[in-house]
Amino acid sequence: MAVKKLWRCNVCNDIHYGIKGPEICPTCGAKNAFTLIDYPESKKVIIDRGDRLDQVDQLLEVWEKFAEGKPFKLNPDTEFVKTLARGELENQKNHGLKYCPCRITTGDLEEDLNLICPCNFFIQPVYKETGECWCGLFVKR
Amino acid sequence: MTDQGNRLVFFWGRECPHCAKLHPIVNEAHAELVKNGGQGITELEVWHSEENAKLMRSYGEVLKKACGGSLGVPALYNERSKKALCGMRITKEQIIDLAKE
Repeated sequence: MAVKKLWRCNVCNDIHYGIKGPEICPTCGAKNAFTLIDYPESKKVIIDRGDRLDQVDQLLEVWEKFAEGKPFKLNPDTEFVKTLARGELENQKNHGLKYCPCRITTGDLEEDLNLICPCNFFIQPVYKETGECWCGLFVKR
Repeated sequence: MTDQGNRLVFFWGRECPHCAKLHPIVNEAHAELVKNGGQGITELEVWHSEENAKLMRSYGEVLKKACGGSLGVPALYNERSKKALCGMRITKEQIIDLAKE
């Protein structure tokens, strides 16, 4: 499997983590502007002023937007969804990332990255079989 | 208390809504097993106890298969037979059958 690397747009300093840099920069629209950089540079370029997603309502809004125009939607049971949001925020506080409360970390960070919500549920067997992601946060339309 | 290695363990997460739904079913299965002279079910919360999470990980090979690829809760693991159930659709009958393994 190809190794993911860090790339920086030389026009607006967008950072991308992937096998290759995007052809068109999603922020400034520059073409073929991404160049390979290293981790220390990326840390210095990213300014810590992005949105904090540490409130239940914020997460609900992000998830609604994530599901827009997709073959799945947010579970219509709002109380159920809020319980999951609270669980993820609890996991963020105690374990550093918004891990799915219906999974459990293995201790191997690379493996555990797959458990951050929203996870890669649409390629998982359980979604194909039941029409829901593992925790039931997203359901097929 | 049943000795480790000889238990039916219910792994659950405090903020997992499916675990909350399954809890009364596990309690019913536990009561039935005890009533019939068997061992009950040992409940272990995994998101707020590193010790319990470590134990769950040690059964990871079997549990991951039962949970569709990654470790998940709610899950039940029989330490004797090394068999497991995982997910929101577990029934009382399945739990009783797993206990008898």
